[in-house]
Amino acid sequence: MRRVSLRNLGAHKVRLILTVVSVVLGTAFIAGSFVFTDSLQHTFDKIFADSYKGVDVHVQSRSARGVGVPVSLVDGLKQVPGVRQVQVEAGGPLVVVNRSNKPLRTGGAPSVGGIWLPPDQSLGKVPTFESGGPPTGSGEAVINSGAAERAGLTTGSQAKVLAPSAGLINVTISGVYHTDTETGGYVGLLFPQDQALKLFTDGTHVDAVDLGAQPGVSETQLRDRVAAKLTPDLEAKTGTKIREETKTAVQKALSFVNYFLLAFGFIALIVGTFIIYNTFSMIVAQRVRELALLRAIGADRRQIRRSVLFEAGVIGLVGSVLGVLGGVGLAIALRAVLDAIGTGLPSGPLQIRPRTVIVGLIVGIGVTLISANAPSRRAAKTPPVAAMREEFAALGVSLTRRSVIGAVLGAIGVVAAVFGAVATDAGNAASLVALALLLVGAAVMLLSPVLSRVVINPLGRLVGAPFHAVGRLARTNAVRNPRRTAATAFALTLGLLLVAGVAVIGASAKKTINAAVDTGVTGDYMLTAVDNLPLPPVTLTAARKVDGIQDFVELESLETTIDGTNSAGVGVEGSLPAVAPLKILSGAHEATGTTMLASKRWAEGRNKHVGDKLTLAEPGGAKVQVTLGGIFEDTALFTNTWLVSGDVDQALTPVQRRFDFVALVKAKPDINLATLRSNLETATDPYYVVQVQDREQFKGQQATQINGLLGILYALLALAIVIAILGIINTLALSVVERRREIGMLRAVGMVRAQLRRTIYLESLLIAVFGAILGVVLGLCFGALFVHSLRTEGLDKIQIPFGQALVFLVVSAIVGVLAALWPAGRAARIRPLEVIAES
Amino acid sequence: MSSSAAPAPVDSDIAARAENVTKVYGSGDTGVRALDGVTVALQRGRFTAIMGPSGSGKSTLMHCLAGLDTVTSGSVVVDDIELNELSDKKMTKLRRDRIGFVFQSYNLVPTLTARENITLPIDIAGKEPDQRWLDTVVNTLGIADRLDHRPSELSGGQQQRVACARALSSRPAIIFGDEPTGNLDSHSSGEVMHILRDSVDQLGQTVVIVTHDPAAASYADRVIFLADGRIVDEMSAPTAETVLDRMKTLAEIAEADAEHIRDDVPVGGPDRG
Repeated sequence: MRRVSLRNLGAHKVRLILTVVSVVLGTAFIAGSFVFTDSLQHTFDKIFADSYKGVDVHVQSRSARGVGVPVSLVDGLKQVPGVRQVQVEAGGPLVVVNRSNKPLRTGGAPSVGGIWLPPDQSLGKVPTFESGGPPTGSGEAVINSGAAERAGLTTGSQAKVLAPSAGLINVTISGVYHTDTETGGYVGLLFPQDQALKLFTDGTHVDAVDLGAQPGVSETQLRDRVAAKLTPDLEAKTGTKIREETKTAVQKALSFVNYFLLAFGFIALIVGTFIIYNTFSMIVAQRVRELALLRAIGADRRQIRRSVLFEAGVIGLVGSVLGVLGGVGLAIALRAVLDAIGTGLPSGPLQIRPRTVIVGLIVGIGVTLISANAPSRRAAKTPPVAAMREEFAALGVSLTRRSVIGAVLGAIGVVAAVFGAVATDAGNAASLVALALLLVGAAVMLLSPVLSRVVINPLGRLVGAPFHAVGRLARTNAVRNPRRTAATAFALTLGLLLVAGVAVIGASAKKTINAAVDTGVTGDYMLTAVDNLPLPPVTLTAARKVDGIQDFVELESLETTIDGTNSAGVGVEGSLPAVAPLKILSGAHEATGTTMLASKRWAEGRNKHVGDKLTLAEPGGAKVQVTLGGIFEDTALFTNTWLVSGDVDQALTPVQRRFDFVALVKAKPDINLATLRSNLETATDPYYVVQVQDREQFKGQQATQINGLLGILYALLALAIVIAILGIINTLALSVVERRREIGMLRAVGMVRAQLRRTIYLESLLIAVFGAILGVVLGLCFGALFVHSLRTEGLDKIQIPFGQALVFLVVSAIVGVLAALWPAGRAARIRPLEVIAES
Repeated sequence: MSSSAAPAPVDSDIAARAENVTKVYGSGDTGVRALDGVTVALQRGRFTAIMGPSGSGKSTLMHCLAGLDTVTSGSVVVDDIELNELSDKKMTKLRRDRIGFVFQSYNLVPTLTARENITLPIDIAGKEPDQRWLDTVVNTLGIADRLDHRPSELSGGQQQRVACARALSSRPAIIFGDEPTGNLDSHSSGEVMHILRDSVDQLGQTVVIVTHDPAAASYADRVIFLADGRIVDEMSAPTAETVLDRMKTLAEIAEADAEHIRDDVPVGGPDRG
């Protein structure tokens, strides 16, 4: 039996290749996402291991917004018994201005400054110089080689550097250094200690102190000794702990990337199951006589079933081995693409873990076996007598049972969707919508053989009308085997369901932001920094002085604890109602002094009322008591949050940690807006990073960001579409083989090759558009439902992109025709004489 | 090219003609000579049967005459058109407009109704069917009440009658039947042969069939016998008995020949009929 299986695989190479490819694509994506994230993880681990190399005890503020370790304490720490070596840390974001007076962009990688540590003050490895040498005094700095190259800087160059709290400074590059673990767009400037403290701290504190222990002194011993010397706002951690913490943080950040990529791998595999299922169904149907013969000469049902499953296993094995290899290639390609567009991810050796290979193989083979299970059962049921019959109708199984189950699931799904739509809690609503999606998706899958007739017949009449006989043949062929059509089309349905859903969410997000800006912002201009950098206070000081400004409001995001629980809010410097009015439900209209405003959701969530007293506190640091003065209605800009005055913000945040993310400007009524704008630009231009935008530009920028995200999602979903296309090619190619005689007859009675090809193009188009219609309709409905379920989370406008949906359908139609090119070519090569040749 | 089936002025009593036709499958030592210098003319409005043992080349001759296969040398003229010079596209259109086919295994499109199957060649050509002619055909063939059925809902005999109607629908210059009764019981066979006979007598149709069934051949006006790729005999006004006798004689001659010589010419073309 095994030999029969292998011979069969060998005899149908095209079928084999298409099926294998669908397994390969799915497993490649899964393996690729593992390899990609493992490699990133490994590289980040190495970077952080390097940066904390030789550190036995690490001293820092308890609060992330803490002021740091006093310089005066550093000498005291040196005296702690068992300390061999001390190194200080101080650093922060900065922007290097390149030679054409533009900020040096990093594409997401850090752009930071720090302290140059001479070898005798450093615990880790000192970077090696490619040229020049260490900075010797104030006004000098060293830069990493990658950044130097991109900024056009060499040893001896003068460079302008913008440090947010200190403003613009001039430095001389004293040397260019090299690190092993340099990330893509990384910019790293190192200054002498004195200057670093001026740039990044208040001058009397450092961010952290690292201690190296003398031989014989353990980490914990030293930590305990150090801890005894610290004030309550500081804490000491062992080197092991701090290394673990950073590693965990990296893992956490990367696990999102990993799950995200894995999700697409699984989507690809689910789409792939339909192709594998279809292939094996067709193989079994075509081999009925052969299977019956095997049964007639004594093979039992189990042997037949096992022979089909064995074939599936071989395909799964070949596919997943190639898939794992392809995954490595995919990871390399993904990294190359990300490098090319400058996302600033670090490069390091590829990590291929045993887990990657094992999961890839198990999933690939498993999915193939599961998909082939039903066809193998059907094969086992072949009666031996079928060998003798001229033609054996294997399609006689009724669709009733399947359709009834589908209808029931669909009904339950619709009920879940209705409950999801009326649920007020976003979490519950989204879960119900997700459940409804699963149920309705399954229902559509089960009902799609029936739906294929309902949709394709009228569609085929419409589309096929100009093609007369060719159109009629295409239509009737498309509904000839509803199960097959359904399984082929459903792969595309799944892909387009996701694409259309994403499109609705994206369009709704854009509409929500537009509406939020239109109704929520009355300011004329917004000042923000490029690359999501914080706005340097100096730039705001300069902008504030511009003539013609009625109101100037700065917003800072503030993460702190309220009554002991972490919470995120906004610090407001200036009069918010003047630039972004809120609908006040009760109490005060503005956050001033120690009066706090809270959004309705936040207040309800915490069960707080106007007049309640709250304590905002930094761990081990500043503490401010505020009174809840007023409650406002949540808006898209201010959702589930609170507002405090600039005074409170300043009390909680040391000056060097205080960065605004946006400033809103309201013009005086009599001022010319264009003049104000150019004045604002003139005032902020010396700081390079500030952009002045009116509401339309701001909306445009937000839309661009959303489009960028959508672009990534579409690119990943394209994988599912590619697999769906392979499925269409596969189905058509096999159908052509099945219909050889019929095609030969059509040629004999006078159908020219072009007409024959057209028939198959149209058939493919109908199948593709059928799948696309189901997918797009489901995607639009569930995208809208999903947005609706998030209305309390700030996504309160639903936008259904009908134009885009139409584009999806048209593209599907084109894709359908393209998928038919090769099968139609094969069909056209069938000679009319084959009508006479018995199969 | 012209798509009308109007009779051409020249040579108008000949519907199809083969002139010294040879057909070799493969090449060199393994080449099989299926037709070996066949010359034959098929008159309009006549019913011709081509007979011969398996491997005699009778199906190959029909394929070549019907524009389904190309000849190695010699010429084939159908309805005054020389087939040798035709491109695949023109050949296909010739088949569509001037030739009708009836196959052994009916070869109807299973997804189309009987009516749609009948008008298929006309539909493919993008022409309007002549409704009165179609009515005549389906009434003559007795399938008027089956027109909305699918082939799977028809008996074998009914399916073959639909196939005959399809062949007649475009009023071709000539209808070729490839073992049209091969899959039918004797009753249905008789019906189908009657239909073909009637189409010749009443509608003036030209019909050529390939068969190895003497009973079927007896409906023809003329029987042509092939053996080893050559025409070895012919007969007018045949009956089942005379045909059967002739077949036996031919088989004896073939056996005697085989004992003689013929080591150099492989016997038996790929007769797949």
